[in-house]
Amino acid sequence: MAASVREKQTVALKRMLNFNAPPLKNTAAEPVWKVLIYDRFGQDIISPLLSVKELRDMGITLHLLLHSDRDPIPDVPAIYFVMPTEENIDRICQDLRNQLYESYYLNFISAISRSKLEDIASAALAANAVSQVTKVFDQYLNFITLEDDMFILCHQNKELISYHAINRPDIQDTDMDAIMDTIVDSLFCFFVTLGAVPIIRCPRGNAAEMVAVKLDKKLRENLRDARNSLFTGDSMAAGQFSFQRPLFVLADRNVDMATPLHHTWTYQALIHDVLDFHLNRVMMEEGAGAEPSPAGARPKKKSRKTYDLTAADKFWQKHKGSPFPEVAESVQEELDTYRAQEDEVKRLKSIMGLEGEDEGAISMLSDNTAKLTSAVSSLPELLEKKRLIDLHTNVATAVLDHIKSRKLDVYFEYEEKLMSKSTLDKSLLDIISDPDAGTPEDKMRLFLIYYITTQQAPTESDLEQYKKALLDAGCDLSPLTYIKQWKAFTKMASTPANYGNSGVKPMGLFSRVMNTGSQFVMEGVKNLVLKQHVTDWSSVTSQETDDYRYFDPKMLRGSESSIPRNKNPFQEAIVFVVGGGNYIEYQNLVDYTKSKQGKKVVYGCSELFNSAQFIKQLSQLGQK
Amino acid sequence: MAVDRTLLFKASVKTVKTRNKAIGIGFDSTKDEIFKRTRPKSGFSPKAKEVITNITKLKDFLLQHRKDYVSAGSLISSDLTRMTDSERDQIDQDAQIFMRTCSEAIKQLRNEAEKKVTSSQIKEHRGAVLDLIEMYLKGVCKLYSEQRAIRVKRMVDKKRLYVPVKITFYFEQENQRLVSEMNSLVDEVRQIEGKVVEISRLQEIFAEKVLQQETEIDSIHQLVVGATENVKEGNEDIREAIKNNAGFRVWILFFLVMCSFSLLFLDWYDS
Repeated sequence: MAASVREKQTVALKRMLNFNAPPLKNTAAEPVWKVLIYDRFGQDIISPLLSVKELRDMGITLHLLLHSDRDPIPDVPAIYFVMPTEENIDRICQDLRNQLYESYYLNFISAISRSKLEDIASAALAANAVSQVTKVFDQYLNFITLEDDMFILCHQNKELISYHAINRPDIQDTDMDAIMDTIVDSLFCFFVTLGAVPIIRCPRGNAAEMVAVKLDKKLRENLRDARNSLFTGDSMAAGQFSFQRPLFVLADRNVDMATPLHHTWTYQALIHDVLDFHLNRVMMEEGAGAEPSPAGARPKKKSRKTYDLTAADKFWQKHKGSPFPEVAESVQEELDTYRAQEDEVKRLKSIMGLEGEDEGAISMLSDNTAKLTSAVSSLPELLEKKRLIDLHTNVATAVLDHIKSRKLDVYFEYEEKLMSKSTLDKSLLDIISDPDAGTPEDKMRLFLIYYITTQQAPTESDLEQYKKALLDAGCDLSPLTYIKQWKAFTKMASTPANYGNSGVKPMGLFSRVMNTGSQFVMEGVKNLVLKQHVTDWSSVTSQETDDYRYFDPKMLRGSESSIPRNKNPFQEAIVFVVGGGNYIEYQNLVDYTKSKQGKKVVYGCSELFNSAQFIKQLSQLGQK
Repeated sequence: MAVDRTLLFKASVKTVKTRNKAIGIGFDSTKDEIFKRTRPKSGFSPKAKEVITNITKLKDFLLQHRKDYVSAGSLISSDLTRMTDSERDQIDQDAQIFMRTCSEAIKQLRNEAEKKVTSSQIKEHRGAVLDLIEMYLKGVCKLYSEQRAIRVKRMVDKKRLYVPVKITFYFEQENQRLVSEMNSLVDEVRQIEGKVVEISRLQEIFAEKVLQQETEIDSIHQLVVGATENVKEGNEDIREAIKNNAGFRVWILFFLVMCSFSLLFLDWYDS
């Protein structure tokens, strides 16, 4: 399977936008224009994959939300990309009645039920628009791909399938069923788009097992129905000939609660932790901090800037997993190369100036026209490079500000030590009571990690001391209540997660000052070197854990046995965390994959949260 | 992998129709469909489609004659396929006129669209449609300029070949020298011509950029003019405010002086 999930999803979208026909490679083809209508789910799926410029190039003149006021544009075909919910169907029927567009291409993100299809049919009949409804498709694209090897289930309404929703004590069976159905529907769409039937492995006794059972059932039902099976057909031809099927490993968030709270040091994870980062888009407020404005003047308005971090951004692709000091250095390097290229172009200008005085220098002229041509053709590249350098400079500066003000490097180092159970040089109480180190949330995170990873529970008096210090710092203690319950529960169940061999080697440089003229002056920030942080799941991908259950939807009998039939080592694996995940785990998996030749691992989670959001969910659970 | 549900949809339509008939709700579907066909179409879309068909005609024309246009005219090929230079010039001229009329038509459509339209969505849509048509026209123009560049290069090469052919009819020794001199000159001229073609291409790019910047500079000009007006008005307002302030102060002073005089007067009157 050479094409990544992202490419497959992009190809499916482009096909849909070309009126459900494969796009032609003809460069000078006649333009056909169309209007794209989506709901918020569709918007979240499309925005990480296609930019507005790409949509324009495909002929889409307008892209609008389904539930907005739309004017009739009578001679234009409209492509709809929505979820088949009641409200959306009603709105589509309304559009048909109001005769907004010339023809309608309806694409549903996940499968539409027969009854809803009849609703649309009756509305179309009533409006005499049956011939206008040209095509109706089920796209099976109900998941969001953020990277080549990372996907999440949804962004809108993610509180419906969040960690809180799954683990709250007052959950009913019907609620749980509904949540599982949503998750399984998205995972089913994922495998349909991938074009392969996986072998499923999951641990026992938690939400992951429920998801595995339901997914296995759904895949099995679909494969049985040979006529309508989604896994046969010409696009599957490549998959059919490969004997390798992907391994799908399900894991539950409850196995490892410390990683989502961990402070991080890699670029992408830091941006997600510290700034407002959703669907590959960073939103920041520009404008420096409190400046004293002269009396009577209006305060300077802070503008919000958004930056898209896409696959085309080479710097981002190279450095999104690098430790932060490396990123700062690389931005500086890129800036230097850019300045050198800019200087060359400027030099040409001066050479041209001299040229006018010198006669008979035709040979010089020919050399310079070639240079000029190459300079002009490289100008757009150069401008793009400048834009990216500016972008990363701004983003990295914002991250650095946060690091300095909250002393995140101290937290990171301390937590690494806690998680690898090495000796601690400062006491926990010191850090918690230190007023300049970090926000109350940071302190809470640190304490929770300590509580989760410590072998013996702290004594009552110690605990009271810590609680008092935390309250003094302004923390909310309800997450602690929940973590206590969780710890008691997991102690009964199985051994706590092994955080692997991770060590931190401070480079011994206490202050590191970058080049003069650079904006990154990292005084007082230790340069820390990350060692690989191997998680539990890597062992499962190498099939060492026999304790997990085994499902193969292609086998004829429902297998209750836990004996893996297929003993071949897997080339491709998909790790999915039920209950939420974050970029730290993704980065760990990427690093793990790099070390193992020839294996591909894709990371998925039901929702993506950063530590702030996770703590909020924990405090909601703790208050119940 | 997407699943086509259009047939299922059509089947649902039939089901609903039969259900409606059974219940007794009927729609005069056939009559209304005829009426629907004669819906008045707005002027924009058919005009835009017309421009596109014209550009496609030009593209087909260029592609059709491309082989003949570009062919080097070898001795083997028959006279039917060979194109004379005058024919090529004719094609060039026609193509240029056509491209000019197309871009005029696009500009006209743009002006019309700006005037008539009421809603912002339709305006955006029409703007984007016109952008797409312009890009298409640019692509076709590129086809034309590519084949023209090949033709010019061929012509230059050909001219270089004929020179030694003519000279070999004369005395060998002297003319060897002349040949080599001429060749070096012609080489230089050829190089210059090549560079001139490159420069003209660069010129095109620069002209495009300058035109782009023109619109931006226009808008900046407008803003600056507006800003100077605002600043002037602001100055006026400040002047008036100062005057009012001053006038106000005078009145206060007068009032206070009058009050103190009246107090003195009352005091004197009383005593």
